[in-house]
Amino acid sequence: MDLRSLLRPASQLVAPLRHLAAAAISSSPSPSSALLVVPLISTRGHKTTARTKRSLKMAPHDSFLPSRSAAFPAADQIIYNPPASEASPEHTPFIFLPRNDPRRLAILRLRNNNTFSDPSSQPSSSSSSSPSSTEAAAAAAGDGELPPEMRYKRRQPKYNLTKEHIDEMRRLRAEDPLTWSVQRLARKFECSTVFVQMAAPAPEEHLRWLRAKMERKKERWGPIRTAAREDRKRRAEMLYRGEL
Amino acid sequence: MKRIRPSRWSGQLLQARRGAGIPAARTPLCLAVRCQSTSSVPASDSSTLDSSSSASPPPAPPLPAPSFDRAPQSAKLAALHARLSLSKKIPLQTLARALVTPSADANPNFNNANLAYLGSTIINFHVYEYLVCKWPRLPMAILYEALRAYAGDESLQQIARRWGVEAAAAPGEEVDPGLLQWKAGESNVVNTRWGYIRSEAAKGKAWRRGLSSRVVLDSDFGDQVSSSSSSSSSSSASESERLEYNTLQSEAFGSVVQAVIGAIYTHCGRDEAKAFVKSHILSRELDPSRLFQFKLPTRELAMLCAREGFEPPVARLESETGRLSRTPVYVVGIYSGKEKLGEGTGASLDVARRKACMTSLKAWYLYSPGNKVRVPSDMMEPGAKPWTAPHIDIGEII
Repeated sequence: MDLRSLLRPASQLVAPLRHLAAAAISSSPSPSSALLVVPLISTRGHKTTARTKRSLKMAPHDSFLPSRSAAFPAADQIIYNPPASEASPEHTPFIFLPRNDPRRLAILRLRNNNTFSDPSSQPSSSSSSSPSSTEAAAAAAGDGELPPEMRYKRRQPKYNLTKEHIDEMRRLRAEDPLTWSVQRLARKFECSTVFVQMAAPAPEEHLRWLRAKMERKKERWGPIRTAAREDRKRRAEMLYRGEL
Repeated sequence: MKRIRPSRWSGQLLQARRGAGIPAARTPLCLAVRCQSTSSVPASDSSTLDSSSSASPPPAPPLPAPSFDRAPQSAKLAALHARLSLSKKIPLQTLARALVTPSADANPNFNNANLAYLGSTIINFHVYEYLVCKWPRLPMAILYEALRAYAGDESLQQIARRWGVEAAAAPGEEVDPGLLQWKAGESNVVNTRWGYIRSEAAKGKAWRRGLSSRVVLDSDFGDQVSSSSSSSSSSSASESERLEYNTLQSEAFGSVVQAVIGAIYTHCGRDEAKAFVKSHILSRELDPSRLFQFKLPTRELAMLCAREGFEPPVARLESETGRLSRTPVYVVGIYSGKEKLGEGTGASLDVARRKACMTSLKAWYLYSPGNKVRVPSDMMEPGAKPWTAPHIDIGEII
């Protein structure tokens, strides 16, 4: 510290002299003046920014950069950079962008440029994901390169019931709720069970009887099954909180 | 010697006045009494009182908190002032006042209640405008929680602790004025929460409290304002006591941050206060995607698509591995027409589909116009560019 504080004014003193010496060197090289100058230059080679930021700034490896030469899976490869990761909700899909968003215009322009490949679709499925059903395959073929549809229960409204149907449904349910259960009524009238429960609710004593039956059934459960049920409920909550 | 006691008070009062700038309009009756006593005291008396600790009067009733004339001598206060790099315009006395909570000193002319309320309005304003401009589609419940994450008492307590604010073991006259003066168990004298007390609150907790009424009736954070804050009549007494202690503590520490910002606004003005809020509160990182909790994500997404006029969402199996193994992995994408909305992975087809729905919903809610959004208060700067309206969403999915 002391040495440096001493050196600094000394070098400042020498600085104009050094210029003179440099001028002398350029005009006529003399070894004595060069010897005089060299040991007095006390500069730190790397300032803090240079050490901590600039020298550490390296270009990424080529494999990290997306190759725009071909459509997405350019060739069979093992290393994917960046590696597969969970989709981030920070990324807004195209149709969720509002009308005046500049990203929307940019994506539209990009799509118009290369009309061959749709950038949003085209997944990479090297595993054997063979569509089991024929209609899924047909749907996939109709959609072009989209992956196969999953088969799950979803709402397909038919609106086929009239007022007479509903009156009939109510009558049957009130008459004999045991035989005309929710499932059976739904099958008969070709509607969903939820609709039957809304349109023709069972009489109160039948519901009470059902609840008591369920209670009796639950009492017979052992500790393992009870715990498993509770865990399943807890797991669903965690899933909806995004913790799973 | 009888005159000395009021003069002591007046000396403190004069100091506080010079430093803290008490609004004259808000002085309650008790202060008026003190003012009269000030006028009767000769001026020389107050000058001696500035170095008053040497001349010891007979033991007066001790002050509830350290007097302001000791503020310039406190190393802790000076250190805090320097650490926050506050402007020279803010005197140490004001900083000392910011550290006195209403639980220590109930007199509103000597505690930080007014400054804290001013500061909390400034903080909430800046955080709200930032949140609304940054994520214009956040649902109201998430917006409340995001505000709480930035400007709630717990977060402000963390900020205050990082500033190096420490609490005194017990508030009192002899304590260093650089320590936070608060004690638990004292009922809050000054209510700094604004909202309406609901008439149906007496009907019990079963009464429905919808979000729209929370916007109108409740406090800034959507919390219910109750007439009596004592709700400690639950079964586990020690647990609730600890909870209440923690709440009071975070409230006390949070009020310091609010009061400091209120003081900056009072002494230095709007722009300084905004810069301070930006660098100390808005600079903290918050991931709003972790605040969500869904009930029926598949149905919500279907309703969103119906409302916006998109094609109904369809789940498609993008890839899978190990269907017959113990640990299968399915990757499911949600598509609306040919557009992909989101993607999720799970160990079962159902879980993967629901996760994909949640991702798509989050992608909708977390739409952001960009990282550098302009907020309305940017227009108050001189030479601001003309205002372009931010994206305003039509509202939540019902």
